[in-house]
Amino acid sequence: MLFRKKAKPDSHQSDEELVADLQRSMDADRFGILYDRYCAKVYQKCVGMTRDRDLAHDLTHDIFLKAFVNLSKFDHRSKFGTWVYSITYNYCLDHLRKTQRQRTDDLDEDAHGEVEHPEDRYEAELLSMRSEMLDEVLSKLEAGDRALLLMKYQDDLSVKEIMEVLGLGESAVKMRVLRARERAFELYQQLQPEGS
Amino acid sequence: MSENPFKIIRPTDQPPENLRKEVMGSVKLLMLLMRFMQLFMADYAMTLFENVRLTGKRDTGPSAAPPAPGSSTKDTPSS
Repeated sequence: MLFRKKAKPDSHQSDEELVADLQRSMDADRFGILYDRYCAKVYQKCVGMTRDRDLAHDLTHDIFLKAFVNLSKFDHRSKFGTWVYSITYNYCLDHLRKTQRQRTDDLDEDAHGEVEHPEDRYEAELLSMRSEMLDEVLSKLEAGDRALLLMKYQDDLSVKEIMEVLGLGESAVKMRVLRARERAFELYQQLQPEGS
Repeated sequence: MSENPFKIIRPTDQPPENLRKEVMGSVKLLMLLMRFMQLFMADYAMTLFENVRLTGKRDTGPSAAPPAPGSSTKDTPSS
């Protein structure tokens, strides 16, 4: 036989094994297995971030293409899932920031390390909100703040994991989460009907 | 204690069925483009024949085949 047959992808292979194979030679079938494993998570994340199903459809498409193109850069230091998660969050954020032209109020949180009040007085309020109200608050919140709150309270990411996803230092992450909670609470108060 | 409202509002939508087709179509197109890039910009001969293996003549019979590595050249006595 003149042409070598490619080995059939094994759907029981781990993500990392599949990626290692893909890094050796590109293969749409193997990538298809990874797609099947992560498409729902990526799509749901995009819906959560954008609140727009059509846009989430387009973003999911682009995120998988971006992942495919950048597979060679995956260095196996983190889990493949974390890597895809990081692409998803950052891609959605970039898109939202570009389209909404949101103010980039990069406060000087990166400059001075320690957070003054690490204990957050707004956390309890945030977690005891009615879900409809929280949904409304999140829809009005800046994309960056929304992303942080979703990472922390919906996906239960640790500070270390958020640092990995966003490529920020620990104090910057803590400060941004704190500020996001504050802004969410301010919005919550504005949305509260008078007298309640 | 009440349930975390962030968990309640978590989207549960399933991705549209045509999305897989679209993604895989784009991936295949991308692979094709990358192959062409390799073909015209890199070592085109290597790319062209990467998946081709030349095999020896098959009609020469077993006696003409080279001995397997480590095998003895002497015939083993048949019982």
